[in-house]
Amino acid sequence: MSNNPKSTSTMVTASGSAAKKSFSKRQIRVFTHNLLIAVLAIIWLIPIVWLVCTSFGSYAGMNTSTFFPKEWGIDNYIKLFHPDSVAQFPSWFFNTFIIACANCVISTLFVLMVAYATSFIRFPARKPLMNVGVMLNLFPGMLAMIAVYFTLKTFNLTNSYAGLILVYSASSGLGYLIAKGFFDTVPRALCEAAKIDGCSEARIFFQIVVPISRPIIVYTVINSFLAPWMDFVYAKMILNAGVSSKYTVAIGLYKMLDKSLINSYFGQFCAGGVLVSIPISVLFVIMQKFYVEGVTGGAVKG
Amino acid sequence: MAGQEAKPAAAAVTGFFKAIGKFFSNFGNAVAKGDIFVKLSLLWMGAGYARRKQYIKAVIVTILEVAAIWFTLTFAMDYVPKFGSLGTTEAEMVFNVETMQSEWNDYDNSFEILLFSLFSFVVWVAFFVFWMKNVMNVYELQKKDEAGEHINTFKEDLHDYVENKFHIVLLTLPVLGIVVFTVIPILLLILVAFTNYDQQHMPPTALFNWVGISNFISLFGGGGLTVTFGYAFVRILGWTLVWAFFSTLTTYIGGILLSLLLNNAKTRVPRLWRTLFMVTIAVPQFVSLLLVRNFFANTGIANTICSNIGLVDLLRNIGLLKTNYIPFLSSPGWAHVMIILLNIWIGVPYQMLIATGVLMNLPADQLESARVDGAKPYQIFMKITMPYLLFVTGPALVTDFVKNINNFNVIYLLTEDVFVTTNQAMANSQAKEVDLLVTWLFRLTQDYYNYKMASAIGIVVFIICAVFTLFAFNRMIAGSREEDYQ
Repeated sequence: MSNNPKSTSTMVTASGSAAKKSFSKRQIRVFTHNLLIAVLAIIWLIPIVWLVCTSFGSYAGMNTSTFFPKEWGIDNYIKLFHPDSVAQFPSWFFNTFIIACANCVISTLFVLMVAYATSFIRFPARKPLMNVGVMLNLFPGMLAMIAVYFTLKTFNLTNSYAGLILVYSASSGLGYLIAKGFFDTVPRALCEAAKIDGCSEARIFFQIVVPISRPIIVYTVINSFLAPWMDFVYAKMILNAGVSSKYTVAIGLYKMLDKSLINSYFGQFCAGGVLVSIPISVLFVIMQKFYVEGVTGGAVKG
Repeated sequence: MAGQEAKPAAAAVTGFFKAIGKFFSNFGNAVAKGDIFVKLSLLWMGAGYARRKQYIKAVIVTILEVAAIWFTLTFAMDYVPKFGSLGTTEAEMVFNVETMQSEWNDYDNSFEILLFSLFSFVVWVAFFVFWMKNVMNVYELQKKDEAGEHINTFKEDLHDYVENKFHIVLLTLPVLGIVVFTVIPILLLILVAFTNYDQQHMPPTALFNWVGISNFISLFGGGGLTVTFGYAFVRILGWTLVWAFFSTLTTYIGGILLSLLLNNAKTRVPRLWRTLFMVTIAVPQFVSLLLVRNFFANTGIANTICSNIGLVDLLRNIGLLKTNYIPFLSSPGWAHVMIILLNIWIGVPYQMLIATGVLMNLPADQLESARVDGAKPYQIFMKITMPYLLFVTGPALVTDFVKNINNFNVIYLLTEDVFVTTNQAMANSQAKEVDLLVTWLFRLTQDYYNYKMASAIGIVVFIICAVFTLFAFNRMIAGSREEDYQ
């Protein structure tokens, strides 16, 4: 952050020379307003810019003398795709992809099933179940993880796809609230009409609710697909055998920054970070509008 | 309903117990008023169904009953009787005369005893409920039979599951997943906190056993060898609360200010700016946080720039610095401030997104009438915008606070391997000044296998979170206006 005075001052002179003195008071206010935003945006983006620049530098370790690399090149990316004993980026990517796909299918099903049951069907245990769900949701997942780890170890499921997929997806039903909030807005008259015409609950779900609820399904799918890419803690706990080719991207990249490795792998870390961030950013931008609706829940009028 | 809204948490608890009471009284009623076949169902669960000619159902419940008994005899009985002692036979090599080799004896594994006993208890409770429910179902059948009503065939029963009992089909698997991967682990964690499961007592080579509340005593400073745990606990708890308070407050206020700034009419291309800020949160945290950690490393680029512009020398001259670099993330005071600042960087865009969503839904009629009445922008902000924002995002503030208490990623990724404590008392209990309770807990389990203390800390964290969320809980239940917008 300390280097921004330089870049902002160049911005001021560049745009300042363009500004004519005949500008009204209001125009100046608009200008300073946008300038303030620009300064903030630059501060926010400095580390990201540094990430991209370092990844395109030709130096393998961390460049500590200048912000921009002295020599540009794509060596880091080339090395990333030629695995050695430490860096196995292609297999990390593949591992994470497999886990993400499996989690995507299971979690989406679980979340939608629970959301549908709690939103559309009125059954006696509904309120008690939802209350228990609220309580369990407030329980930090990290704490249960220790015990899950013991359990998986007893069944020899640590260091495997299956273990990690189970960890991500088994309890995913608890994250049903956002989807339920959406289902709550689906017009009930439609379902009642279908019911009168002799439609079963299962058919209502697949032929009426699913088509209407496409946005929330997209959100759930993307969200559960992203979880394994973003997660660090659970993967670190489950994949503790130290076999590089079995890591997920998060663990692999973390290990690259080990004290003994950082000087020869920092560039590759940045390259890997850029490569992972691109698809994730795209998916994130697609789902961000649902994210807002989800967090503020029913409190916001649509 | 009005009473429920006033005290929803209390109502939820009493309602829960009332439901249990009703369940038991229904069961008693069924047993008392049922005919001989209902009473026989207490022993042979299929009896009542067989009497009403529901043979397939009778076979299914009989199989389940046999399975439960078989589970008890062949599995549960291996572990549950040892639950009280958690095993007595230590593992050792014994010379086997027949094979002329040293072999492991038939030792006890304390952890498996604990886990499988707990599992057995859960299965038993589930089966017990099923057994009671079964008697009630049979009694219902009897009443239907006596009233001369139609009794479902098996096919009709099956059909019922996609018709009136569809919720059971939908919920079974997810609930099973939650029970196995959330409920049982939490119970197990609570049990481990009352044992001495640590590096000296690691199954399978050693046994561990019940120690009562001694882990909690050492956590709260109970003298002896473990006195440093109490010392570290107080400091880490303090920092955890300070961190949670400041990180929640700074990102919340920052997010609102940023969204007001971006949503102002003076802003050109607001969408572009918003996307630029979102890039920070779209990059996975393990990339962005590990990156800034190296950006601010002792020999990192930030230090180079600071010394180039003379900041390091300046700080040294006024006595704020003893080293020839700025220890951004490696010395207590600096690291605490830096962590909160870096959290602003990572957290404000999230809050900005949420606040933007809320601001877009501001009641336009109120704003309009305020403007017509001649309110100044400042007044509109203080009297309309701010109260509305607080009203909508207020409950989220409490949950954010709890989330920050457990904000593992930020602390771990920024300080692990970088921050080395020089405080001997902290180091003795494997803690660091910048640890949160959860990162401490994580290190205790991952690097030092000190499961007993980690579990005790886990329970303390849960209690703290529960206290704070009770506030939110009231609001959440009362605020679930789920049928308003249908």
